[in-house]
Amino acid sequence: MWDQFILNPFTNVLLFIYNIIGRNFGVAIILFTILIRAITWPLNAQQLKGAKVMQELQKDKEWLDIQKKYAKDREKLASEQMRIYKERGINPFASCLPTLIQFPIIIGLYQSITRALAATPLGLLQLAGSIYPSFLNAALLIPLNSKFLWMDLGRPEGLPFPAGFSLPFLPYGFPTLALIVAATTYLQTKLTLPPSGTGGANDQSAAMNSMMSIYMPLLLGYFALNFASGLAVYFVTSNVLGIVQYASMGRVNWRNVLPGGDKTLPAKTGSRK
Amino acid sequence: MKRLILISLVLLAAILLSACSAGTSAATWPGLAADSKLAYLANGTYVYAVRLSDGTKAWQYPDKAGTQLFYANPLLTTDGQVLVGSAGRDYELTSLDTATGQQKWTAPFVATDRWVAAPLVVGDTVYAANNDGTLYVLKLATGEKVWSLHISQELWGAPVTDGKLVFVTSLDHFLYAVDPVAQKVIWKVDLGGSAPDSPAVSSDGKTLYIGSFAKKVIAVDIATGSVRWTADTKDWVWGAPVLGGDSLFAADISGNIYSLGVPNGKDAWPNLQPDGPITGSPLVLADGSMVVATESGSLYAFDTSGVKMWDITPGGKIYTSPVAAGDSTAGLIMVAPLNTDFLLAAVSRDGKLVWKFTGK
Repeated sequence: MWDQFILNPFTNVLLFIYNIIGRNFGVAIILFTILIRAITWPLNAQQLKGAKVMQELQKDKEWLDIQKKYAKDREKLASEQMRIYKERGINPFASCLPTLIQFPIIIGLYQSITRALAATPLGLLQLAGSIYPSFLNAALLIPLNSKFLWMDLGRPEGLPFPAGFSLPFLPYGFPTLALIVAATTYLQTKLTLPPSGTGGANDQSAAMNSMMSIYMPLLLGYFALNFASGLAVYFVTSNVLGIVQYASMGRVNWRNVLPGGDKTLPAKTGSRK
Repeated sequence: MKRLILISLVLLAAILLSACSAGTSAATWPGLAADSKLAYLANGTYVYAVRLSDGTKAWQYPDKAGTQLFYANPLLTTDGQVLVGSAGRDYELTSLDTATGQQKWTAPFVATDRWVAAPLVVGDTVYAANNDGTLYVLKLATGEKVWSLHISQELWGAPVTDGKLVFVTSLDHFLYAVDPVAQKVIWKVDLGGSAPDSPAVSSDGKTLYIGSFAKKVIAVDIATGSVRWTADTKDWVWGAPVLGGDSLFAADISGNIYSLGVPNGKDAWPNLQPDGPITGSPLVLADGSMVVATESGSLYAFDTSGVKMWDITPGGKIYTSPVAAGDSTAGLIMVAPLNTDFLLAAVSRDGKLVWKFTGK
């Protein structure tokens, strides 16, 4: 089911792009990521819109009042929150649902890149079974050209250390791409942090966001360090596109990455949508 | 509490993403070889030697799992070595003692990629084809590199020889003939598609037979590198073709089996397709019968005229070529499936399950 509706179509589109652009798998990954981002743009926009409504609600006087008033009565607090949602026509899941829908798409994208790289006999056999014979001539496509810039996309990236120098925890050399992945992930997380307020739930939310901005770059950097560099190319592309998308919607908070920034969205930017 | 939840979510995401990715851990089907007493199974982090008599473990290498990953077919040498390459990050080619499993040497040179192919031994020289597209030539006694020749892209098929030249197939669609004296490629043939396994050499040493993803089996003149005949198949030919009498047996990944006439490539067994894809080579036994293993987890035996003699389903998914073990007429047929609760099964020559080996 998953293979039929997600993985196989994704793999075929990725290889189709690879074929028509002159067999450059790195460029194919970048274009494919752009394509998927474009298709899921409306979902992203909906998610951002829903998140913005929820953020504005966090600053609403009536909302803050009921948080204080019913702080010790969770049942009453929940019913009051639902009342406000209903009165103002707010769907509290409006920002979650698009994310949930996108999740299988992102996983499918990720898996299709891994499958197309087919580093082993079993991987190649699975790839053969994924390709639509009427759509692509797999026999002519294989083996894929996995060289892109200085990388072999089927292997973890690393620039060679000087002769005679090695580090046991960096078996593939100096991890340039892993650092770029970590940096762009950090930048994206920081730039898209929602505005933090004062007190209560907002402080907790800010703390969680702050932790996300540390853990996510470390996590994706670790993947880039250990897995095929084709995936790292996808991570970098996806991060850059995420920043571009947020920026185009006026949701980027540049002050979060500037020294001494107040970590709040500029009023002008925040009111654009 | 929230911190704990967040960390848990991040860890969960890490596990999910790890599960989604093949990474560089290079999992694939096992490698298999056998002699008169033991079967040798290269399965992930271990190489096992299993007694043919009762299916018990004689030894395993290494004692504790390390960075090595073994999937290439082990090669048994006449001086009692098992040569097996690693598909792990170490890129090592290792020699083990067949009797004890003790390491004799680990290649004192650095290949730049994984080992998918079994090596070839000619006299006191090892020819080892690597995934980095290079043919490494080593001393059998020590594993020291004598010379190497970068040929092309991924080399997954074990090199073969006619006694003079060494033949190597590549995923780059070509079959190469290497002259070990001149240390260079003397001819190459475009197969039209990738060739992930070895060619077969005719008994008179004049012809090579090779299947490929171009849905063809091709006979190549060794002297000139010219194509003698081409036989169409219905799908990709993965496993090496095997000679048996006047026939050349091959199979494709749609599960079709071919018995091609050696002189002209004409198929004597049209429309023979038992069940499931076939990636391994057919196994030709001393009595001329032929056995194939399918992805569906079954073994099928056919007589010389293509009539089914027996079948058995040990289970799992079988991608590795079946291997004959023990006595040439009364011995066993070994199969190494994936995705089941055992690693190796022994089947008698009349199709009865004898034992299963679980790795313990």
